[in-house]
Amino acid sequence: MKTILSMCVALLLPLQATVAQAEDAYTPKVYGKKGYVWDEMTPERVEVLKMTGDPVKGKEAFRGCRGCHKADAAGVREGVYPRLSGQHASVLIKQITEIRAGIRLNPKMLPFVEDPAIAVDEIADIAAYLNSVESLRENGKGPDDMSARGKKLYTDNKCFTCHGKNGEGDAAKAFPVLAAQHYGYLMREMKLIETGARGNSHPDMVKAIAKFSQSDREAVSDYLSRLPDYRTLNAVPATK
Amino acid sequence: MKYKNKYIRNFNGLLMSAMAALVGMLFVSASIHAESMPASGAAATPETPAAVAATPETAPVAPAPEASAAPAPEVAAAPSGPQPLEERLQLCAGCHNPDGNSVIPENPKLAGLNVKYLNRQLKDFKSGDRTSPIMSSIIPMVDESEFKALAQYFSEQKRSDGATDKPDLAAQGKQIFDEGIIGSAVPACSGCHNEDGSGTDKYPRLNGQNSVYVVNQLTNFKSGERKNDPKAVMQTVAKRMTEQEIAAVAEYVTTLKEAQQ
Ligand code: HEC
Ligand code: HEC
Ligand code: HEC
Repeated sequence: MKTILSMCVALLLPLQATVAQAEDAYTPKVYGKKGYVWDEMTPERVEVLKMTGDPVKGKEAFRGCRGCHKADAAGVREGVYPRLSGQHASVLIKQITEIRAGIRLNPKMLPFVEDPAIAVDEIADIAAYLNSVESLRENGKGPDDMSARGKKLYTDNKCFTCHGKNGEGDAAKAFPVLAAQHYGYLMREMKLIETGARGNSHPDMVKAIAKFSQSDREAVSDYLSRLPDYRTLNAVPATK
Repeated sequence: MKYKNKYIRNFNGLLMSAMAALVGMLFVSASIHAESMPASGAAATPETPAAVAATPETAPVAPAPEASAAPAPEVAAAPSGPQPLEERLQLCAGCHNPDGNSVIPENPKLAGLNVKYLNRQLKDFKSGDRTSPIMSSIIPMVDESEFKALAQYFSEQKRSDGATDKPDLAAQGKQIFDEGIIGSAVPACSGCHNEDGSGTDKYPRLNGQNSVYVVNQLTNFKSGERKNDPKAVMQTVAKRMTEQEIAAVAEYVTTLKEAQQ
């Protein structure tokens, strides 16, 4: 009996230690709170960016993500789960480390991406894997083709300065790819970024979409969802 | 499982472990009697432990509070030292079948589970990281040096197929297993355990597993009673599921057959 009791105590001790550790850890700042600086590096992100990701290991580590994002990282057409394939590694690393740090708020996913579900080096591996993986299924599009109006809004509001002329984003600056993303996801994220509920909004993007109406968001999302995967644009044409 | 919920909610962790230990000791002596019965091979053993394991609702495990009032169990529980594999297997066979394909609904099929997974479960039972009124009382008899061979043996057995008499429930379970539950952010089981439930070295095999056992495990993950999942994700998954969804997915798991390569 004594051993059982001491075993229980031994189990409780590390628990207390972790709580104590969490208290003096890095304190993240969320958009809208004093001291928020967009793209401020978390210590973990600095660490991950120094690593060279291994896509083979990444594929295996991504197994724990497939239940939502699907085996080919295509997510679901309705956009509840975003498409991750082809996203820049720098963007994936930013999003994952910020979700783990509590800067980007994603309670549905957090338990599956935080420690111990995913180790630090697996973040680099997963990012390398996702950047190169090909999704087999088509992404979700808007209900009607509004791409002409969407394209105009995208251009007039200078979205391309960050997200690129073809929605290809910017790997160096960690601006996400938007092309061929699910319509439903694009719609939701614009709203979450505008209201700040996502936690890691870029203040200039908030300004850029501040005057968007619901139908503007629909048109832009539709346009972006119909753009081809940017990786196919600079692909060398296959010789027959 | 009802009895467990009823009692466990009323006690704190320490008290619970103490109770489990007492109940455990009773079992140890019970199983030792079982073992010391004339050893007419594996066929004789199923009777006693099977009865013990078969129905948690009615088995002697249920009236846990009485256990604490019972006279102190004989301390014959001292580990008998390492045993050769063939002899040790007779103990396991009583509950898990000689080929590891347990026919008792509450007891898991061990056949075809990954060797690392099996080893880890045995170690966790030993250390108390995983508890079960039954296995926690069996494991003190088994020396840690035996785990490797036991795990190896069961991992090499072929998993038998299961069947359901509730096809509608199983069909609902298939939807959950393959697609998850979007509304409550339950990921698809197939993502980790594979579409055919064959699993990997990190995620256990599920195909053909006894549905009652699967329900019990998901219920224990949900309540936090089982918390030895290394990535802690099974607890999250199960907490997001209703009892009905657990029953459905467990029913489907039983019907899964490993895909032909
Ligand atoms: C329970 C379901 C679930 C699981 C499991 C899950 N995710 Fe997610 N993930 C989501 C949801 C929902 C979102 C979108 C959240 C939002 O709307 O902001 C998301 C968003 C993301 C994003 C941001 C995409 C972008 O374009 O900004 C990344 C990156 C990501 N997930 C990676 C992962 C990785 C890696 C894993 C496995 C370690 C994982 N997810 C597991 C549900 C999940
Ligand atoms: C100043 C640069 C900038 C501008 C301008 C900008 N964005 Fe963004 N956008 C971002 C950044 C950065 C993110 C990701 C948030 C983060 O991680 O910091 C983002 C995210 C998004 C997302 C979510 C993508 C995902 O994968 O989660 C959508 C949709 C989006 N932007 C649409 C737009 C539209 C439409 C415009 C024009 C009206 C626009 N953005 C203008 C920088 C910008
Ligand atoms: C008295 C019956 C009984 C005996 C004897 C017994 N077991 Fe078990 N075993 C069980 C039950 C019941 C469970 C389910 C425990 C739970 O609910 O968590 C179990 C669970 C297990 C598990 C966990 C399986 C999984 O899928 O996670 C392993 C491994 C295991 N037993 C191995 C053994 C070995 C090896 C032996 C022989 C040394 C043995 N058992 C003897 C009843 C028994």
